[in-house]
Amino acid sequence: MPIQSVKRGDTVLEARGITKRFPGVVANDHIDFEIRAGEIHAILGENGAGKTTLMKILFGLLQPDEGEIFVHGQKVTFRSPLDAIHLGIGMVHQNRKLIPAHTVIENIILGHPKAGSIPDLKRTRGEIAELCDRYGFKIDLKAKVWQLSEGEKQAVEILKTLYRGARILILDEPTSALAPPETQKLLASIRIMTGDDLALVPFITHKLPIVLAISDRVTVLRRGKVTARLRTPEATENSLAKEMVGREVIFRLEHVDVEQGKTILEVEDLSAQNDKGQLALKGVSFSVHEGEIFGIAGVSGNGQQVLAEVLAGLRKAIAGRVLIDGINITRSGSMERWKNGMGYIPSDRIHVGSIGAHSLVENVLMNYYFDGGFSSWGIVDARKTRKLTEGLIAEYDIATPGPDTTAKSLSGGNLQKLILARVLSRNPRLIIANLPTQGLDVGATEFVQNKLLEAKRQHAAILLISEDLDEVLSLSDRVAPIYEGEFMGIIPVKDARIEDIGAMMAGLKHKVAEP
Amino acid sequence: MWEFAARSLNASTVFTIAALGELIGQRSGILNVGVEGVMLFGATLGFIVAKTTGSYLLGCLAAIAIGGLIAALHGFFSITLGGDQVVNGMGIWILGFGLTAYIGYPYTGPLGMERIPDLAGLSPFFFVGVALVVLTWWMFSKTTLGLRIRSAGENPSVTEVSGINVTRTRYLSVIASGMLMGLAGAIYSLNYNPVWSINFLLGWGFIALALVFFSMWNPFILLAGSILFGTLWQLSLNPQLVLPGVLSRYIWRTVPFIITIAVLVLMSTKWFSSRWGAAKPEALGLPREEE
Amino acid sequence: MRLGSYEVKLEKKVRVTGWEATTISLLAILIGLALVGLIFLQAKVNPLTGYKAIFSYAFVNKFGLPLTINRSIFILLCTCAFILPMKAGLWNIGMAGQLYGGALAAFGVALACGAKAGQTPTLAPGLIILLMMLGALVGGAVIGSIPGFLKGRFNTNEIVVTMMLNSIGYWLIAFMIKEGGPFMGGGGEGEGFKLSQSMFPPMVLGGAFTIPLALALAALLYFLFAKTTLGYQIKAFGLSPSAARYAGISPENVPLLVFVLGGLIAGLAGYHYFAAVPGVYKIPLNYGDFGDLSFYGIICGLISQGNPLAAIPFALLFGGLTNGGRFVQGQLKLGYGIDYALLGVLMITLVAFQFFYRNTIVWKKMEREP
Repeated sequence: MPIQSVKRGDTVLEARGITKRFPGVVANDHIDFEIRAGEIHAILGENGAGKTTLMKILFGLLQPDEGEIFVHGQKVTFRSPLDAIHLGIGMVHQNRKLIPAHTVIENIILGHPKAGSIPDLKRTRGEIAELCDRYGFKIDLKAKVWQLSEGEKQAVEILKTLYRGARILILDEPTSALAPPETQKLLASIRIMTGDDLALVPFITHKLPIVLAISDRVTVLRRGKVTARLRTPEATENSLAKEMVGREVIFRLEHVDVEQGKTILEVEDLSAQNDKGQLALKGVSFSVHEGEIFGIAGVSGNGQQVLAEVLAGLRKAIAGRVLIDGINITRSGSMERWKNGMGYIPSDRIHVGSIGAHSLVENVLMNYYFDGGFSSWGIVDARKTRKLTEGLIAEYDIATPGPDTTAKSLSGGNLQKLILARVLSRNPRLIIANLPTQGLDVGATEFVQNKLLEAKRQHAAILLISEDLDEVLSLSDRVAPIYEGEFMGIIPVKDARIEDIGAMMAGLKHKVAEP
Repeated sequence: MWEFAARSLNASTVFTIAALGELIGQRSGILNVGVEGVMLFGATLGFIVAKTTGSYLLGCLAAIAIGGLIAALHGFFSITLGGDQVVNGMGIWILGFGLTAYIGYPYTGPLGMERIPDLAGLSPFFFVGVALVVLTWWMFSKTTLGLRIRSAGENPSVTEVSGINVTRTRYLSVIASGMLMGLAGAIYSLNYNPVWSINFLLGWGFIALALVFFSMWNPFILLAGSILFGTLWQLSLNPQLVLPGVLSRYIWRTVPFIITIAVLVLMSTKWFSSRWGAAKPEALGLPREEE
Repeated sequence: MRLGSYEVKLEKKVRVTGWEATTISLLAILIGLALVGLIFLQAKVNPLTGYKAIFSYAFVNKFGLPLTINRSIFILLCTCAFILPMKAGLWNIGMAGQLYGGALAAFGVALACGAKAGQTPTLAPGLIILLMMLGALVGGAVIGSIPGFLKGRFNTNEIVVTMMLNSIGYWLIAFMIKEGGPFMGGGGEGEGFKLSQSMFPPMVLGGAFTIPLALALAALLYFLFAKTTLGYQIKAFGLSPSAARYAGISPENVPLLVFVLGGLIAGLAGYHYFAAVPGVYKIPLNYGDFGDLSFYGIICGLISQGNPLAAIPFALLFGGLTNGGRFVQGQLKLGYGIDYALLGVLMITLVAFQFFYRNTIVWKKMEREP
């Protein structure tokens, strides 16, 4: 592994003309790109702009169809990530690439060429502790990874790449899972790293403020092409957003005002545990009315998922009550709730919301098999279900050859449309939408959001759980930031300031709830 | 009384070594429910080779070899072809069950060889078993190889990205596991109960499988569990030692199987299941997903 | 991978058509039979002559054919007992224990009603026959309920539990029919008592009445999964327990239900062979062989891809192979247990062929390099 002596500002990696094609789409279209030592070079782009593909190519996970990569001026080809690692390139993935059951040290030395047959843990621990001190990471090296916070886990991944000798770090969406205080810690560590002449490339999508705060240069990708190369001091949030999307971005949807009716969902003092047996929901109380969208905003892992599962009947509460239109359904299972007018749009559309091997008709049946209108004497009315499915496919504009194709052949956006169609067609009085636009592109996201607004106009009561603060604020009437299983407040959106909500999401502020 | 204890420990040796094999395979992420089949191959081939050559050593070697081979087959179906590991394991079991019935039939009956010398009834294989337990524990907790195997079983994609060939690691584990299972089978047919008959393992392979789950992948708990089961088995053969005259001996034969079921139910209690869930190799039995 | 001027690639299949699945299954059987043919060769028997002898005894011979049919129905029932839980994603390898339970219950009823040969029955024969059959269903269902309940409630591994129950069932029968047990037969030969003549169940078209019953059951099972909401729920649970839970399907009830029903069907298999097939009418000395035969239900279930109607011809084939194989092995000096060898080889061939249900080999002519 050649360690070149590198000066700040030297080009350490250059990519020229990188092109990668997949069936039907050009993911990277002749991209030129350059990384310099001691510099933070951000790559900005929407989902589908080609960032992930480019990053995978730079790390050796994919081979480009055309184009060349030069490291320290030498042309290189990566046959696998190992080649990239040998040249000092390290990647910190968005989805943690760590093994939760193992300790921090075990994760760091996994696959390390210097580890030998029997690792000398004492010396390793010393070396890693040194790295921690240098860059400001505070981690218990003996802890098991599952015990760490998101910020600490990310630090472990960074340490792993550094311990392998990485001088070029590619960080994929490094702040998306972090609460604001952890983000600050990370940025501080990154600044120290650039002081050491390491080169960093963070990919950040919509956290534009962070791009502006930390990076030296920005490259914007749109539909596989580079649309702008800017020095960060010369960029503004709006100019960056415009380059990303290609049009003036409206940061807020038009708010829909509907007269609100009676209380449909009432939650009193609800508490529940997560899979590890820890208390994840701590005595939450709130209510949702007809014609209202109640938004729950929070960073992932603060109890929203547990709340959704308890409300949907997929997890038992250990205390508290849940009432739908006055009927106490706390003890009853999922089926009772469907029958009482609940509609649940789950966050996991692949494993929970649909059955991949089943056809679209069979997937629609998931919420209709118990409906007397679609079965008699225990026998499914196949024709009626099929007609319903065909109607839904047309109404929701789902791209598919027909109702008999399998659900797993649908793209993410179309699958979500199917689930939405299936749930909303039952005209539920209470809709629980759990991360409904996660992983969808702009078009599909807009579609889903509009459908929810439509349901609101029909006087449904809607509970919206989302990790996108902008989405929550633009759709909801009231918002409750959730932090470590508690509501930090319930605030009417009209009176809300985004900075306050963000602070509450991080546990920093507490406002008295006005239900 | 000592004779009973010695026989119990001898029986436990078979469980220990077979379950240890399955433990190693499972730690790498490969589930083999056909332990019985691999053991049957080892037991039958070992018996045949020993009887025809007159050599215990050759019999054991043959058993180890066939065990590794059959397990490699399971590995091929599960790792390279990426098929459902439970289906593959069932196939291995029925293959073993069916084929060994045919191959072994002409050799039905006692081995007819001088017994392997033992220490007052305690077979030397017992110490082999204990040594293997310690070796396995040491490998998993102190060596890089152990870390690789464990990582392959927890998260193969992270392991691969860290520069380790998961396929090779898994094949290694599976073959090693088969060699141990084959050896366990040979110990049964050559030492513990040297009489061949169709399906003479009587479900021991499945009990070994249950033992691996019960042990929470800890070799020492596994050893303790095997000794317990060995004792139970001997008891079921000799109920007169505990409760003379009570119940037909046939009813007693059902006891080890009933206890196995009871143990499995016990494992689902809160205390057990949370620890079990934490100890379980996360990728166990799962096919490799494409990135 | 390149072969000459073609590029060969493996592609995941999106959906398997009925025809494709049938072709793969038939191919698997042919290859399995060919492999067993190697065993024939090793015993210095020409495989073709061997198979000819097997098939002619099994299907053409006037003594062999009824035996084949009786075995095939037994296998068919075991297959249905396997398929039901399979649709729910669960493995029922406990047909042996369940059929033993059914047999015990049936003969228990017989004993209680004085149906033993040499006794006078306490109820009308027709009623006793009906009660015996019901007893068998209940006995099998009870044994089946154990893994089902444990799986649904505690998520215990059903493979181990059913296997344990197989052994438990085996020894329970041994207890009942040997060494002074209550079911012991007259001669003390270690077999169960024989039913009195009036307890021989009615024949339909020269065969046991369980034959049309089994065929009807297979059809009913097919209908269950093709058309009913219950079948839909079971299938959904089998494909994705988390999605099924979301849809309101109870993850505790489905395993219990499918295992109770599966056990029930297996119990009927026990009744069929031990009480309905002419010439038996008792729990025989070699009852363990029937426990072993029940494993053919696994192969048959896998090869018919869970379709009970498709299982019928395969069950017939396997019934014939095992029957013919047993008959012919002595004659041709093949060595005892050729039907066991068949079982093992066919199973592993099937397992290997599972790969082709999920993947196709795609041949593509290579584009010329620029």
